[in-house]
Amino acid sequence: MITWQRLIPSVLILLLAACSPRPEVHTERLLAFGTVVELSIYTHDRELVREAARVVGEDLDYMHRAWHAWEPGPLGRTNQLLATGAEFSANPSVLPLILEGQRLEADSDGLFNPALGALFALWGFHGDEREEHAPPDEAEIRALLETRPSMADIRVDGIRMRSDNPAVRLDLGGFAKGYGVDRAVERLKELGIEHAILNAGGDLRAIGRPGNRPWRIGIRHPDSEGVLASLELAGDESVYTSGDYERHFIYAGERFHHILDPRTGRPAREARSVTVIHRDGARADAAATALFVAGPARFAEIAARLGIEQAMLVDPQGAVLMTPAMAERIRFEQQPAPPVILVEPAR
Amino acid sequence: MTRGDGLVVICACLLVGLSYVQFWGAPDAGDASATREVRILSGGTEFARLPLDRNALVEVPGPAGITRVEIADGAARCAASPGSQGICQRAGWLREAGDMAVSLPNRVLIEILGETKGPFDSINY
Repeated sequence: MITWQRLIPSVLILLLAACSPRPEVHTERLLAFGTVVELSIYTHDRELVREAARVVGEDLDYMHRAWHAWEPGPLGRTNQLLATGAEFSANPSVLPLILEGQRLEADSDGLFNPALGALFALWGFHGDEREEHAPPDEAEIRALLETRPSMADIRVDGIRMRSDNPAVRLDLGGFAKGYGVDRAVERLKELGIEHAILNAGGDLRAIGRPGNRPWRIGIRHPDSEGVLASLELAGDESVYTSGDYERHFIYAGERFHHILDPRTGRPAREARSVTVIHRDGARADAAATALFVAGPARFAEIAARLGIEQAMLVDPQGAVLMTPAMAERIRFEQQPAPPVILVEPAR
Repeated sequence: MTRGDGLVVICACLLVGLSYVQFWGAPDAGDASATREVRILSGGTEFARLPLDRNALVEVPGPAGITRVEIADGAARCAASPGSQGICQRAGWLREAGDMAVSLPNRVLIEILGETKGPFDSINY
């Protein structure tokens, strides 16, 4: 039989146990991977957040140096060796990304092509600061595209590799951030962190949930700093957006952005932004770029080829094209809501 | 149970109540604003953490030159920074928790500390 003498100590122990600090979302900002990184963790341990931010910052900076497209480092050395045509041993920090890049280029039917680093350099996007000078001549762009650099030109045999095409120059910027954020989130999990968002320059992966509610994410409007739409995340998902408002320059009143169409060598013009949700951050990152280049005409086909079920495209007129699975999760935050066209991914 | 036991139980309950208010109660908004600070990051490390209620001019060295941070009238701003586009300066005066200005060429981040209470946990862009 339960007596007061036994019950009261148990109640007191339970009440005192509740006196530990309440878990909250704590956020740390840092500069890493060449951008602003925001780490939000749901915990009562603020010191853990600082330590996690320090560890993640170091990891991301290491990856950024290894995969930098125009500064000396493992990727720069790889590009030098690929240009010789001779066989060499791949750098272990670069090899997994080359294999992933080959898969992504093939799955996107060439609309995402990390071998076109020379094209980005020609447009002046290889640099922290782009002076506002004229875009490259059409003849220069044509000449470069005629060399047809492709990830398929890289022959990989174990850790040995060579390129059949000296024009191949790797620029992993289209998916390295996604790959890096995925690695950093794995590191967070190793630190025992179960509920967090890692946002690197606007692209993010979320794990767990903050208490008994999901994470709430705002998606930026391509025309302003405001929020176009929102969605909720719970579990383990990545959200990546490619937009024409990111890296760009204006010349003679015309805006030239950094999402280049491998078919024309010029900025893709059939979209303003594309948002993708997927478990794999590298694939989500690349898919946002590929679907931007694909535009509304090939949106469904490229989404299906890449295995993307949740994607949204804002076209130049402000209309929204999205998959039914994305539409179930998107809530527009601006009134009136834009016109929406639903498109099922299909080859 | 004796009277002494009862007294111990009452004291323990009071202690629990006080602990709840101390650790779980809502933070005092007045206190939060009184201690508002600006944090300046240079590269991967914290360069300075300064109160917003004291005017100051701080020079932050970076790989591209000097970023000048001005604190005045309870706000902070990036007054000057290397970079052709002036993105850091365009952020304007920073007052609310979460407001920030960034100079990527000079690897400087200026942010107002404090818990943000917006509708979103993170912004995707």
